[in-house]
Amino acid sequence: MPFGLLKYGLSAKYPARRHFPKAKELKPTYDVVIVGAGGHGLAAAYYLVKDWGITNIAVLDKSYLAGGNTARNTAIIRSNYLTPEGVGFYDESVRLYQGLSEEFDYNILYSVRGHFTLAHTDAAIRTSRWRAEVNKHMGVDSELIYPDEIRRLCPSLNLSDDVRYPILGALYHPPGAIARHDAVAWGYARYAGDHGVEIHTNTEVTGFIIENGRVKGVETNRGRIHCNKVLQAVAGSSSRVSDLAGFRLPIRTIPLQACVSVPLKPFLDQIVVSGSLHVYVSQSDRGELVMGGSTDPYGLYSTRSTLDFKEGLLGHMLELFPFLGDVKLVRQWAGMADMTPDFSPVMGKTPIENYYIDSGWGTWGFKATPVCGKRMAETVATGNPPELLQPFRLERFYEFQQVGEKGAASVGH
Amino acid sequence: MKIMNCPLNGPRNISEFVWGGEVREMPDPVACSDREWAEYVFIENNKAGFVREWWCHVPTSFWFIAERNTVTEEIVRTYPAGELFSRRVEFGAKTKDEQR
Amino acid sequence: MRGGINRLPAPFGRAIDRSRPIGITFEERDFDGYAGDSVASVLAADDQWILSRSFKFRRPRGVLTMAGQDANTLVQIGSEPNVLADRRLIEPALAVSAQNYDGSLEVDRGALIQLFGRFLPVGFYYKAFYKGGSWKYWERIIRNRAGLGKVDTYAHHGYFDKQYLFADVAVVGGGPAGLSAALQAAAGGGEVILIDEWPLLGGALNYARIDRDGDKAAALGDRLVDQIRATKNIGVLRDAVCTGWFSDNWLAVIQGNRFYKLRAKSVVLATGSLEQPAVFRNNDLPGVMNGTAAQRLIRLYGIRPGRKAVVAAANEDAYGVTLDLGDAGCAVQAVVDLRRSAGDGAMVRAVRGRGIPILEGHAVIEAIAATGKHGIIAASAARITSEGQTDGRAMTFECDLLCMSTGYSPAGQILHHAGTRFAYDHATNMFAPAVLPPHVFAAGSVNGTYRLEAVLAEGRRAGWAASQDAGCIGASEPQAVTGDRGGEGQTHAWPIFPHKRGSDFVDFDEDLQVKDLVNGIADGYDDIELLKRYSTVGMGPSQGRHSAVAAVRVLARETKTDLSQLSVTTQRPPYMPEKFGHLAGRVFEPERHTAMHHRHHEMGARMMLAGLWYRPAFYGKAEQRDRAIRDEALAVRNNVGLIDVSTLGGLDVRGPDAAEFLNRLYTFAYAKQPVGRSRYVLMCDQSGAIIDDGVACRFLDEHFYVTATTSGVDAVYRLMLQWNAQWRLDIDVANVTAAYAGVNIAGPRSREVLSKICHDVDLSPEAFPYMGVRMGSVAGIPTRLLRVGFVGELGYEIHAPASQGEALWDALMAAGGTAGIRPFGVEAQRVLRLEKGHIIISQDTDGLTHPHEADMAWAIAKNKPYFMGGRSIAIQMKKPLTRKLVGFTVDDHSAPVPEECHLTIRGSEITGRVTSAVRSPALGRTIGLAYVAPDQAVAGQIFDIRIEGGRMIQGRVVPIPFYDPENKRQEM
Repeated sequence: MPFGLLKYGLSAKYPARRHFPKAKELKPTYDVVIVGAGGHGLAAAYYLVKDWGITNIAVLDKSYLAGGNTARNTAIIRSNYLTPEGVGFYDESVRLYQGLSEEFDYNILYSVRGHFTLAHTDAAIRTSRWRAEVNKHMGVDSELIYPDEIRRLCPSLNLSDDVRYPILGALYHPPGAIARHDAVAWGYARYAGDHGVEIHTNTEVTGFIIENGRVKGVETNRGRIHCNKVLQAVAGSSSRVSDLAGFRLPIRTIPLQACVSVPLKPFLDQIVVSGSLHVYVSQSDRGELVMGGSTDPYGLYSTRSTLDFKEGLLGHMLELFPFLGDVKLVRQWAGMADMTPDFSPVMGKTPIENYYIDSGWGTWGFKATPVCGKRMAETVATGNPPELLQPFRLERFYEFQQVGEKGAASVGH
Repeated sequence: MKIMNCPLNGPRNISEFVWGGEVREMPDPVACSDREWAEYVFIENNKAGFVREWWCHVPTSFWFIAERNTVTEEIVRTYPAGELFSRRVEFGAKTKDEQR
Repeated sequence: MRGGINRLPAPFGRAIDRSRPIGITFEERDFDGYAGDSVASVLAADDQWILSRSFKFRRPRGVLTMAGQDANTLVQIGSEPNVLADRRLIEPALAVSAQNYDGSLEVDRGALIQLFGRFLPVGFYYKAFYKGGSWKYWERIIRNRAGLGKVDTYAHHGYFDKQYLFADVAVVGGGPAGLSAALQAAAGGGEVILIDEWPLLGGALNYARIDRDGDKAAALGDRLVDQIRATKNIGVLRDAVCTGWFSDNWLAVIQGNRFYKLRAKSVVLATGSLEQPAVFRNNDLPGVMNGTAAQRLIRLYGIRPGRKAVVAAANEDAYGVTLDLGDAGCAVQAVVDLRRSAGDGAMVRAVRGRGIPILEGHAVIEAIAATGKHGIIAASAARITSEGQTDGRAMTFECDLLCMSTGYSPAGQILHHAGTRFAYDHATNMFAPAVLPPHVFAAGSVNGTYRLEAVLAEGRRAGWAASQDAGCIGASEPQAVTGDRGGEGQTHAWPIFPHKRGSDFVDFDEDLQVKDLVNGIADGYDDIELLKRYSTVGMGPSQGRHSAVAAVRVLARETKTDLSQLSVTTQRPPYMPEKFGHLAGRVFEPERHTAMHHRHHEMGARMMLAGLWYRPAFYGKAEQRDRAIRDEALAVRNNVGLIDVSTLGGLDVRGPDAAEFLNRLYTFAYAKQPVGRSRYVLMCDQSGAIIDDGVACRFLDEHFYVTATTSGVDAVYRLMLQWNAQWRLDIDVANVTAAYAGVNIAGPRSREVLSKICHDVDLSPEAFPYMGVRMGSVAGIPTRLLRVGFVGELGYEIHAPASQGEALWDALMAAGGTAGIRPFGVEAQRVLRLEKGHIIISQDTDGLTHPHEADMAWAIAKNKPYFMGGRSIAIQMKKPLTRKLVGFTVDDHSAPVPEECHLTIRGSEITGRVTSAVRSPALGRTIGLAYVAPDQAVAGQIFDIRIEGGRMIQGRVVPIPFYDPENKRQEM
């Protein structure tokens, strides 16, 4: 029994301590307004406080705390991307993640599981090798392995070759991890709240006050706020919010669905992804199989569920794990993914001065939460995006300088 | 499973269709600025609400236009592309390639 | 007694067939029951009330609802985990075991955790276990304790299938509302499908008591079911669960091993309501159950649910339960009614008449546990002083059964799926559907209607409206529902009596007590969604069916919010857990085989995937792969080979604008391409990235036959049609990929072989030169003949109707017999094309490669006003290139051949990668293609390649083609 729990058992009264301050009135002016109280927005608030001493911040959200894609994602953390820019960026995120529980004094249940991207075709083998080679070059632990080794590490996978898509190999990324997604956002929120950051949920942004190309304030359903700087971090609603500010983004918003099984005794330690079969799966600490696939076939601003998603996904799941036919699915849900042409995010400056953006998070947003928060905080504080974010600037599309992650980000998130 | 009314084949499950994105006008590929062209290629309206889109019925490879609400998923109207594109599109004069 | 010591005589037991005894085992103990028994009922019949151990505290749990709605009854049957024991019907020799215990179900060592319960506050895992990286250690322990049911990784993949159904009106729920809705909908003339999750239609009419004598409900049920049976246009799916509503009334229905997908024009949801447990100390123990659970045991299965009972009441139904218990031989000690007055309804009067004490204004505050918490021995009640508070002066009643009849909540899951919002109604103390979506109707208690006459009337109205909505107008409008709908007085506003010693469970699945929610709210998680995520209330297998409303009540009180401002969390599909096997079905994975597929197998080909197609990789044993590939390649170089190229895409572009159309889609120029000639085609997307290639064969002025890559052709075809839907050029495009089989006969002796069976085409180099295309017959088969040079030898691609592909193959193999013709596979072709420096799209290019980077500027026509991607390429060419594809060789002959995607490195920088590399059989050295920095892309430049194990080797840039640089051989 850890000592941390003793106080709960030994005190007569539950030692409650609000993790987030109670809602209050909006102030007329803030230094920084962060639109979106999801993981990214809250992380930015945290690092603005911690790294830059900026505390006069309002984080606004139209719904409840961390209720958007932060609440809906399947919590995979990895850095085995394809481009050096991507690998470097996500690698910093993984390293930040590893220290978060202690930094927060709040367990985010960071669980290193090892991440397999299965290859069923020789083209997938090539892409896996490419990623492994770039990863190793960047100091990230990643290796192309073959069926014998896969069998040793993940014995329950169906490695026979009398299936439609036999497994020819896998990109193996030992640091691949999962975490409790809500706890990440709550950990950031708790610290930020303790240091004066105001989190206003159920507060919808309805417009921006822009003078001479410079943002001056934010209109909300609770009134007008003045501010010096705005950070937009509203995955799933990026185009809608940027539209209010008068600029457009290279984004299509497409639902991404996921589902979980009933809790089962642990039998799968690893995170298993198959791009060809559009499946990814891990088993949570509660014992649920957390599963998902690729994005929906068409754009929609809705989190409705579909039947064909599950049918396709589970058909392929049973190819990989044929013994799961009698296991039951208990819940499905969806989030809205802001998909970019190159499957990389869009971060940094916008056409509006002092208005910064953190968007284009498609299906890969959760794993970037710490690095994005930290580096966007730096961007907001200094007015200049750091080197690490430069490749992901909005202007890259005007310059035909895409960061091509399509092969590494499309499934597996 | 949503039902979409194909102007050629009638109502079918939406799994028979492929989404082709918003109907948008190509700027003059010669006269427009590089920036305008990049916007055309990469930047999206991505509107929440009523949009006009390309859809293709896959088994018959029939492209048509659908007007759809991207928030409610309501499909308001579908019609053949000829309603919007009725005239032959030309690019500049006869090409030099052809005159050679 | 036969069928168990608790078994009651008929007429109890509507659901069982006493003429068909069935035996099963539970935890290796024998139990005897009857057909129609559920696993839970057969166990209850012999006093086996403990069914499982709870998720966190491992508390014994038993029957709660008998409705297949709660996690208490989850058991393991063979390799199937998490089976609802109160829903699964017994079959002969079923072997059932309990889940989630260490030792035995009766004595679980793991239950010691309860001693530490106070140290495991809400969200405890967030609050500890992480210092100094200790989570690694704790996680293992927590994971092993969590989870319910075991997966058998050797289990067989069972048989599951799927079926489509169509209906004008689908009615979900076969209780009184659903039955009357189905009858009325059928009167409209359309096809009606009625779905009910139980083997017996009738819903609550089968087990509820609505009158003093207790026989009215069943009689009404029988009458309605008879009418349903007599109605031809009602199809009935019994023992079938509608698990979800999806867009446009697309319903998922599971029955046995079959998964139905039902499309209905309109849907009536008559899914009823769920009785909600009251909250007090030890409310979770075996022996504490819903009133309707006791009634189901008695009336459906003929089982006496206890010997002595206490009933916790807050509505008239509780008195029906009390009467039923008495009739079943269970002595009711007291009815403890939360209401100030129980009123004087007929059933209340009947209870009084039987001399059973009724404690009005009292609450059950505790169930007293038996040894080991295996059941209860008594219940304590006390006078209510204020909401959730009593005077604490406990009166104790000895009992082994405690029934809870204090309120309901709509079984609104499927309405939720359809997008219905639920709002709290202070009059009924329940959530009720606010606005229904189009084509969806609700009737009965799911809609807040409880009085039987009103339920039937509402069913008729909904059935009528649904059939009208579906366009079936054959029936006249039934009367609107009038008078009291009976929702008031069913549900108590605060059936929650927290106990200072805890074990007052709000969520049985997750072992959450009142204090866990209160403390979670105090921790700041004061939105229902946050509270759910922090405390995990409602996240267990029963998805909040019995906890969501109580949790919202607690939240409202703690945050001093009016309930009407709050909502329950959104219910997502499925309504009941669905087996993966149901969703997967038989899994149809399409395969495409070429016309010559069998021939390849006969010749010992190893097949590889190419999209959906199978293609021969090489011919021979797997262990002789390298040798086979080399020999096949050399056969082509030195003699003659034959490859199946049927999977290549083929598109017929016809019409006066055919050339102009190709000009717009491909980078090259086609207007002046002569008839009878082919020309390379390279397609870029609008951003300038290479996406496909092939050749365009001009057979007629207005007819091009365009080839495309195997994996790219469908997208290319679709793109062509989409563009021409806008351009309106006078052309037609047909995707003839599947219509044609194709082979490439290649090698210096290919003309010699072909000439034996092709007599109507002049094959001489002058008459049919390199890049020429002809139509003619080969072995009497009409063909398109293409002289192309992908492998760099004299050769002919021959495209023939797919139906004659095998005959063509056989004829060529026969004709080539004396020449020693050899079939070759994709691997040898890759080697041969690499020797010629030809790229393969998506191997030698990636998603962003533009033609200049791939060194294909030669394929871009100048002076075209437009081609797809052209402007984007022009913009990119204003900047310096960042990489370029070059041919290279490795001078160190002892160095291994680099693998595809090994990196090219300069200093600490990645400059590119090897895209193709092989030891050339013809040249005897390593050759390959690689991206390098532009300044390195000059013949003779040396660059570093990092190969396996991090070793560096040197590549030297050389001009391509590597083999036959003057292309003499293909032009022979």
